[in-house]
Amino acid sequence: MLNMTTDSYLCPYCSVRLDTFNLLKAHVRAEHSTDPLPLPEGIIQLTINKQAYQLYVEPEWMLYYVIHDRLGMTGTKMFCDRGACGSCTVIIDGRPVLSCMTLAIECNGKTIETIEGISADHHPLIDAYIKHHALQCGYCTPGFIVTAKALLDHNTHPTEDEIKQALAGNLCRCGTYPQHPKAVLEAAHVLQEGR
Amino acid sequence: MMMAEEPGSYQKLREEGQYHIGAEPLNITFNEIGRRGQRRLDGYEKATGKALYTRDMHIPGMLYARVLRSPYAHAKIKHMDTGRAERLPGVRAILRFDDPQVKGRDLNGSYFAQGWARPKLAGWALKPVHLVLADEAWYEGQPMGAAIVAESEAVAQQALSLIHIEWEELPFILDQEEALMPDAPILRPGAESNEIHDPRKFYEVGDVEKGFQTADQIIEFKARRRPHLWAGAEMPSVLVRWLDDRLEMWVHQQQPYIAKQLIAEWLNLPMDKVTVNTVYQGCSFGGRGNPANHSENGINVLAALLSKITGQPVKMLFDRRDTFFGESGDISISDFKVGFKNDGTITAVQMKNIFAVYLAATGIDHFVDNTRIVNLACEATPVDVSIGPAWWARCEHLTSCFSLTLVFDHVAATLGMDPIEVALKNDGTHGHDTGYLDQYKREHGFPDRDSLKECIEVGSQAIGWKEKWHPPGTRKLTNGKLHGIAFTWDHNWDDTRGTGSAAVMIENDGSVTIIGQHVDIGPNPWTPLCQIVADEIGVPFESVHIKPWTVDTGFVLMSPDGSCNLVTNGNIVRKAARKAKQMLLELAAEKFAVAGPEELDIRNGVIFIKADPANSMLVREVVAKAMPMHVSGAFWTQPPIIGWAWHNQGIWGQANETERPRLCRQAHFMEVEVDPDTGQVEVTHVVNVNDVGKAVSPEGVEGQMYGGTVMGVSRGTIEEMIWDPQTGVLLNGSLLDYKYATMLDCGPIDTPFIETGLGHGPYGASGIGEATATIIPALLGPAVYNAIGHWVDDFPITPDKVLKALGKIQQCSDE
Amino acid sequence: MNKFTHINATSIDEAVSYLQRYGNKASLVAGGTDLFGKLKDEVMPTYPEAVINLKTIPGLDFIRQEDEILKIGALTRLADIATEPIIQSKYAALAEAAIHTASTHLREMGTLGGNLCQDIRCWYYRSPNNRFPCLRKSGGCCYALAGDDRYHSIFGGSVEDGCIAVHPSDTAPALIALDARIKTSKRMVSAKDFFRVDECRTTILDDDEIVIEIHVPQLAGKSTFAKFAFRKSIDFPIVNGAAMIVVCDGLVSTAHICLNAVYVIPYKATLAEQALIGQPLNDASAKAAADAAVSNAKPRHRNQFMVEIARTLVKKIVLACQ
Repeated sequence: MLNMTTDSYLCPYCSVRLDTFNLLKAHVRAEHSTDPLPLPEGIIQLTINKQAYQLYVEPEWMLYYVIHDRLGMTGTKMFCDRGACGSCTVIIDGRPVLSCMTLAIECNGKTIETIEGISADHHPLIDAYIKHHALQCGYCTPGFIVTAKALLDHNTHPTEDEIKQALAGNLCRCGTYPQHPKAVLEAAHVLQEGR
Repeated sequence: MMMAEEPGSYQKLREEGQYHIGAEPLNITFNEIGRRGQRRLDGYEKATGKALYTRDMHIPGMLYARVLRSPYAHAKIKHMDTGRAERLPGVRAILRFDDPQVKGRDLNGSYFAQGWARPKLAGWALKPVHLVLADEAWYEGQPMGAAIVAESEAVAQQALSLIHIEWEELPFILDQEEALMPDAPILRPGAESNEIHDPRKFYEVGDVEKGFQTADQIIEFKARRRPHLWAGAEMPSVLVRWLDDRLEMWVHQQQPYIAKQLIAEWLNLPMDKVTVNTVYQGCSFGGRGNPANHSENGINVLAALLSKITGQPVKMLFDRRDTFFGESGDISISDFKVGFKNDGTITAVQMKNIFAVYLAATGIDHFVDNTRIVNLACEATPVDVSIGPAWWARCEHLTSCFSLTLVFDHVAATLGMDPIEVALKNDGTHGHDTGYLDQYKREHGFPDRDSLKECIEVGSQAIGWKEKWHPPGTRKLTNGKLHGIAFTWDHNWDDTRGTGSAAVMIENDGSVTIIGQHVDIGPNPWTPLCQIVADEIGVPFESVHIKPWTVDTGFVLMSPDGSCNLVTNGNIVRKAARKAKQMLLELAAEKFAVAGPEELDIRNGVIFIKADPANSMLVREVVAKAMPMHVSGAFWTQPPIIGWAWHNQGIWGQANETERPRLCRQAHFMEVEVDPDTGQVEVTHVVNVNDVGKAVSPEGVEGQMYGGTVMGVSRGTIEEMIWDPQTGVLLNGSLLDYKYATMLDCGPIDTPFIETGLGHGPYGASGIGEATATIIPALLGPAVYNAIGHWVDDFPITPDKVLKALGKIQQCSDE
Repeated sequence: MNKFTHINATSIDEAVSYLQRYGNKASLVAGGTDLFGKLKDEVMPTYPEAVINLKTIPGLDFIRQEDEILKIGALTRLADIATEPIIQSKYAALAEAAIHTASTHLREMGTLGGNLCQDIRCWYYRSPNNRFPCLRKSGGCCYALAGDDRYHSIFGGSVEDGCIAVHPSDTAPALIALDARIKTSKRMVSAKDFFRVDECRTTILDDDEIVIEIHVPQLAGKSTFAKFAFRKSIDFPIVNGAAMIVVCDGLVSTAHICLNAVYVIPYKATLAEQALIGQPLNDASAKAAADAAVSNAKPRHRNQFMVEIARTLVKKIVLACQ
């Protein structure tokens, strides 16, 4: 878009020239009803834990790799790497999904929550999990908490059965399972009281 | 089962006051110890995702390494061309099996092979020869041939696929009985036969033939345990860097000090130039304690070599399929012959166990430890087969628990007797009855309690044994399923062994730090240690912490390779705390101007004169000048208050230089529903009763009970590694195909533990981290028998096996 | 994973044109829960040059009732299907199939179209690095035939000495029992005719053909679904099945029974259906139907147990239609 010889900006839709980049953006919004301008290939824009990011990603990079390795948010864990354990769970647009089976490049425009955001918000699940010892080695714990948070976002009064069904895709080798419904119920009560 | 090999060593320790037989009188008040609701020290980091695991570690400039794995069950590299791999952009170095640094070199660390350990048991458990990078694989998936380091894991992985190898395929065998046949090809390079020499092959005590002659009845039966693994949450990895000629590592292992020793030995580095750091561990149920295994030591050696070559930090990673080679537990085919009287007294037990790959325990051990049966014989043979190495998988007592459970429950079933009665009839130790145990307790200051009886009493009530127990195959529920209920028992062995050291330091503000490297694999290990130190010194729990647990400080708490770590570490920190307290009181005595420290005590962070409690000072007022360092030369300072201690739980409580009798017992009850049309076994209720002697952290204890049950149920019903019979390739090397329990796959679990004070640990405690997980798989056997009236002694008890036992199909899947 | 070109398709036509351009060297991605497992393990002899994203095509994610036909977009998530009240009440077999598929997370990602088009799970086929280049991958033989066949077909192979890998979908048998039709970018095909066994394919779709919608006609009777797996979550079925039965004047007038994970494609249990027609719906007829369903089973060495499970499952789903 930047024309090197005349130092002006060319609209990709109608080829009109504008003097500055900001004028170009305003023109595109006004005349072509689209915003933003197309990003260079491989650039994605997304929100993670309420923070806006603009990143370059290779097509084959999984979201887990971008979050964990490149952005340093190591709370999201890799356990099975094949979609069978729930430890890499993040919330995308309200749904608990597996980041090890999600391409980063397909997350353009998405809103993502990870365990780091959930804990920064002091979600009552954090304390409840600690209190009820719903964790031992802790490796699967972020995946459980993120999944439980997604449940509580949609279901403020879950039954014990509903909790178990919601968490049935999360594996724990230490066997902490009996404690999770207690922790989630307690967090649900705290949220109910807070409302 | 630890025989003392150096008589007299603990006489010397006894003189030093380090050694103790029997129970110790309590001389502290339990304020923090035993209290519920103590906030887990590791909880915040883990729940918030802030806890760092080895897999999360990152150093700037870090490269990534992967190792080649054999696609064949037995094959030799004839020719390997790494040219294309070398040329792939992003590849930094390739280490080949024929490079001088590794050519022909073993992985060191046959666990007891070093001269300072137990050379006589060198045959125990391991393949003594396991090359760091071999040219001949003896199992599919074996790390061998080449290791590659690159700018990313993806490039390293891609480079591996560019290595071109000409293989010579060799014969392989998957079944241990087949491997023992006289004409079987030798499976492991360098071995003379497929039978692994083990000095424990033959065991006999008493006279089993005589025992059979005096029996009213004799039964014989076979049983089988198929391969499974613990498939821990975090896949193995290591991060290594060189700083000049010093090596620094972050390891995913259970025994960091041993890791340090082994890597130093392999690289020929003095140990003072090696630093081993440990961060949180995502599961470790034994396998990360096998140094002759690639997932423990091999990964470290390769990463260190690659880091040296490239001059950059290197992280070597295993992927999920890689974890299937080296985490598996012991595998056995067993033949039992049992003689018993009609009143349930067992007169003789004879067993023959053939193990694949590895022998952890012969299988007779718990009959020795727990019973009055005088005539015992066992032939135990480990045999090489073409599958990856096995090791302790929560735990090495698996065979012993299976044997005890199956024998006792088969006897009870044959007699139509309540299995509880059979257990009580035979309870004892080393061929002695419970009278002997009672005498031991009296002589050594233990409380007069009968652990097994109490466990049974509590558990029977909790499950409703009296109302629910029924003859086998006689109770059909309204939902069409067959109800089964079963019982088993054993001792709690987690007060047996372990050594370690730690220091306790009182900080300048009166707070207390436990200093010692440790590995946290999840059993809430530090909270109890802080509880112990708090009560031993007399300060609040909140003012005690452990640090730096990640770093090689010279003090190393026992890492959980036998879960004896609660008991061992409890004793370590207790001793260290007492020393620190003594130093503190000596310092305080000067300030109080009393005759000596024996006139003072501490409670709740306050030091006071016993005879005049109102005369008191805060701990921090006393230590105000006791600092590790201070800048100003004008101030008088006092030396810091640090007490350190070492403890050997292995000899603690030994009497007469023989094993200690096991006093703490466990009893487990299980209800199942078996669908007679599909063969599916559903575990609907489990009651675990463990006698933990003294629960330092009640929640921690319970976590090991229900956690162990979940793992045990899973192992007993659905976990099995399956290989292709034609090629020896592992078919289910993923967590989709190798299944373990989800939250929905086990019914309610009750965990009433009891505290008799009969443990050999501090305050009479015994650990139980292994106990439940190891015995629950076996309990599935009698539970299913009670449901359907037929024995399925082939584990895991999958639907096909039940259907075959019911006569509904002719052949099951494992045949 | 290895590199590929990623394309966000913005319309069906655009996706089709990319498929045509790449020939069989492109893969479509919907939820990704099947494709990425295959790519990570490098299961196939060749790796796709391009991955074409269908999620960016608007208008494929919907559930609506139109003229008494339930229409579901191919990109509709299984979680949404499982919880949609109209499907739970009127098309129960489909809702139950959806809720029993996989796990919470996989249902939030996985789509109905993807579930129908998913690839087989045979552990030889799925062995990493194409370790067993089998019949379905243009190789020479079926490795399961001489290998471990415990989860493979109990009704024989695709052809003699052919593939015995089963189809793993949970929604497929439900849609077949419900007489659903599948609208693709080229045609409308009955669900029961949608599946096929060939090299590198499990459906009748051409290389440049995409599933757009699934249509389910109004049911005249009750429908159910049941699944047998070792675990109560995450697992693919060992055996599953759906039934839709219409009872008229006390006798069965229509019976659709479809099993899956027992044969190379979803298996219409026609012998069971025939056994029910004209019978009252009760324990005895359900048992007779169950026995009929497996009367022609050809179990292999290790999967005899699947026959009993199939038998039990048929009886259960038939009775549940009472």
